[in-house]
Amino acid sequence: MGTPARWRRGLALLPLIAALLLAVPLGAGVSQVRLKLPLKPRLPLRGNEKIAIAPFIVVTDAERARDRRLQNVDLQAEFSRFLKKQISKKTKLEVIETPADLKLPSQSLSELGRATEFWRSVGAGTGAEIVVSGSIEFRVEDRSGYKTEEYVSPINNQTYYRQVYVEQTGFLFDIVFLVFDGRSGERLLQDEFKDFRQTGGRRADELAGLFENLFSLENQILNLFVAREREADRYIFTN
Amino acid sequence: MTVRRPTYLFALAAILASAAGCGSYSRPESAETQLSFGSSVAKKGLWREAAFRFQQAVAKEPNNARARNNLAVALEASGEYARALTEYKKALELDPDDNYIRRNYARFAEFYTSYTRTTGKTAGGS
Repeated sequence: MGTPARWRRGLALLPLIAALLLAVPLGAGVSQVRLKLPLKPRLPLRGNEKIAIAPFIVVTDAERARDRRLQNVDLQAEFSRFLKKQISKKTKLEVIETPADLKLPSQSLSELGRATEFWRSVGAGTGAEIVVSGSIEFRVEDRSGYKTEEYVSPINNQTYYRQVYVEQTGFLFDIVFLVFDGRSGERLLQDEFKDFRQTGGRRADELAGLFENLFSLENQILNLFVAREREADRYIFTN
Repeated sequence: MTVRRPTYLFALAAILASAAGCGSYSRPESAETQLSFGSSVAKKGLWREAAFRFQQAVAKEPNNARARNNLAVALEASGEYARALTEYKKALELDPDDNYIRRNYARFAEFYTSYTRTTGKTAGGS
């Protein structure tokens, strides 16, 4: 018949099944969990204030005439557009337009931070409760060069090290934020954010590089005004 | 008979599974039970409940490094960073060789340093 033999095989598997079932809870002593860490806003705001984005000092303006790749990017306009869009989309702050002919009183960051009268007049003129300015710096760097690479010879199967030429472009973005009280003109906050991205190829697009930098800093920038979250992995013990 | 054989095997397997799974819940007062229940709610993202359970486990066994670690993670997830730091330190003191606790602490320390640098606060959360 063969039936008792199959029956015995089934019984023989029982200790294995039991062992596996008991081993699961014992072996699963640690679990990795993903946390969303709440980050409080840097500025103590109600959340629905009127905010004006004033021009920023463009640190790399002087180099623009010499660097052809910087000439392709209108940093002031691109950054202002990005900031207004992100604030409008991801916060409840009301973005107020500043006059197109608004000129900064100084090209020095420290003097800009002390120009209380100027910021008060911007606040009064626009009706903004908060005024944002600061400085921005964007650099495109040729990071091409020789790098050491591991190489396994197909002849003798030995590992060697060789120098290879790698073409890479680096994009550096540095923002200093100055946030002013639109009523008093007092500086409420100063903070700096930096980002560096490296991509393969010497001719990587500078505008794409700029937005890579901006999107990686987006969370930190918005965290100035509103609560944000940051993801992080941790381990917990399950038994 | 041929129909009942697999049924018997599955029934036995189910009994073994439930015995293994429910083993820790048979002692509701123990730190082990609180730890087990806390971790199961933590995996569902219910961090306040998890923190309460881990707190209970710590109250029952103050020298349990695993309970301290889990409590630290739950406090961190709830935004109570200063308390999380204290618990991570205690967990590490109790079991300095545990790789998971060390990794958690290292990652948290990196985050917390950056958080306090940007906010200028040493006490995070309520």
